[in-house]
Amino acid sequence: MQLLTVEKLCKSFGGLKAINNLDFHVNEGEIVGIIGPNGSGKTTSLNLLTGFLKPNSGRINFRGEEIGGLPRHIVCQKGIARTFQLCKPFMDFTAMQNVMVARAYGRKPSANLHIAEKESIDILEQVGLGSKAGILVKDLRVMERKRLELARALATKPYLLLLDELMAGLNLTEADEACKLINQIRESNITIIMVEHIVKAVTCVSDRIIVFNMGEKIAEGQPEEIVHNPKVIEVYLGKSHA
Amino acid sequence: MKKNNIIKLILIIVVVALLVVLPLVIKNDSTINLVILVLLYILLASSWNILGGYTGQTNLGHAAFFGVGSLTTRLLWVNGVPFLLSFLAGGVVAVILALIIGAPAFKLRGVYFAIGTLALAQMLNLTVGNILPEMSYNPDLANYQLLPRYYLFLGLTLITILTAAILVKSRIGLGMMAVREGEDAAESLGISALKHKLIALSISAFFAGMAGAAFAYYHVSFYYYMPFGSEWTFDPMMMAYIGGTGTIIGPIIGAVFFVLLKQLLVWNVGEYHLIIFGTLFILIVLFLPGGLVEIWQKFRTFLTKKTKRRKKVLLKATIQNEDGIQRE
Ligand SMILES: Nc1ncnc2c1ncn2[C@@H]1O[C@H](COP(=O)(O)OP(=O)(O)O)[C@@H](O)[C@H]1O
Ligand SMILES: [Mg+2]
Repeated sequence: MQLLTVEKLCKSFGGLKAINNLDFHVNEGEIVGIIGPNGSGKTTSLNLLTGFLKPNSGRINFRGEEIGGLPRHIVCQKGIARTFQLCKPFMDFTAMQNVMVARAYGRKPSANLHIAEKESIDILEQVGLGSKAGILVKDLRVMERKRLELARALATKPYLLLLDELMAGLNLTEADEACKLINQIRESNITIIMVEHIVKAVTCVSDRIIVFNMGEKIAEGQPEEIVHNPKVIEVYLGKSHA
Repeated sequence: MKKNNIIKLILIIVVVALLVVLPLVIKNDSTINLVILVLLYILLASSWNILGGYTGQTNLGHAAFFGVGSLTTRLLWVNGVPFLLSFLAGGVVAVILALIIGAPAFKLRGVYFAIGTLALAQMLNLTVGNILPEMSYNPDLANYQLLPRYYLFLGLTLITILTAAILVKSRIGLGMMAVREGEDAAESLGISALKHKLIALSISAFFAGMAGAAFAYYHVSFYYYMPFGSEWTFDPMMMAYIGGTGTIIGPIIGAVFFVLLKQLLVWNVGEYHLIIFGTLFILIVLFLPGGLVEIWQKFRTFLTKKTKRRKKVLLKATIQNEDGIQRE
């Protein structure tokens, strides 16, 4: 069943067509990878899905409902959570308070803060930050901040989770841990769109990969197909390698 | 209840009790007036802090809400409306004014709110000065008593602090602070930033307006435009920063510190006290962003670290002992 359907989506900044006639869909329970060179419109597409940008035209259908241009917090309450390419944690909060905000306000929020707090600690444990609940974000390391960003998104109880370059800047072991974490999230019936710049980062977990270039979808398919697709190789390595 | 909370509670009860009996014991009008001034500043600094400190929205026109509260109450009261009604109207009109400026300014995001509130206060200051240039006299002048004024300020201050304390422990308060920490992230987690800013602004403006209403009841004679003056914005703002924004106790400490220091300085250095305050304010913003409260917190963490270190040393010593025993 299709959870998300995007049709003829367009967004331009001045004369620049950042997203041009984009069509794609995501099935329930899938992990879809979106890859593409820098500036190809990956972050812009996530911004359009989450209400951070209003589309110029086109449709975004989520669980049978048009959500294009809805306010950001409403999109979240309808069940789409996102992380940011540059982590945006609440710096003066503890890890637990960060997650508690999401639990108190996301989909199916816990208005009672005591309950929200308990649930937040469970979620922190789920992403391996259980022992850091009382630590201020300032004192967390980069990988821990990424885990926190993930915990916060999960705490909004999303149907669909959008990850923007979560793997960027991680070393091999850390990337491995992140893959495990993402597989674990899928087990809890959350559908995922993973945006990455590096092809390898998505091939390990994705069921399907969509390739962007200059605001357009240039390829789509299984990971094995994609890494051998001449168009994709051309985009990433230049014409001579195709 | 934790031991810390019990100590806090006892301290609060003692301070409040002292403030309640103070005018009964010290029957000196100038002392009572000084305490009223402190209470007024606590009211203004604490109410500013709800929006400026907890929600991160810089209000540069708090005087507009204070002024409109005093104007509304005084005008109604002078024209024969029952006092209680006039008094409450001060807060209500301030909220209405706040929503009129806040809704469009917050929708635009960014600096529009700071500029908008600054302009609003200046504009009202000039307009009121032009339309009502005359002196306003207290209609209660014949049987004016200081004591009810004192208790009105005390009650209002306690209600303001209590409201702020309950608010920031609530879900809405958590949302407000999340908006302060990062609007984009907060919205991505399901928080309407606009709604939370407007709630914080309304509560902030309401208590500023009530402070104005109490001022209208208290003051014997003043020009209607006087409470719109920019010092009613910037003094309380400085107090909040000096004490520590985003804390309940900060604006209280800041206000007490400010008034006491001002008294001392005016006696000793006259006009120069403004320069000294300005410098102090800049130093605190630059080097002690948490205000005076931060000094206390740093001192406390320093103490706990020290005891922890001592425990560690003791632990090491015992381990070495055990090692020693094994080796023997
Ligand atoms: N808010 C914006 N205003 C103007 N141009 C933008 C904005 N956001 C993105 N762009 C432009 O749109 C294009 C796509 O950017 P982006 O979606 O961030 O790419 P990616 O995430 O794939 O690296 C880039 O050329 C970028 O400069
Ligand atoms: Mg990007």
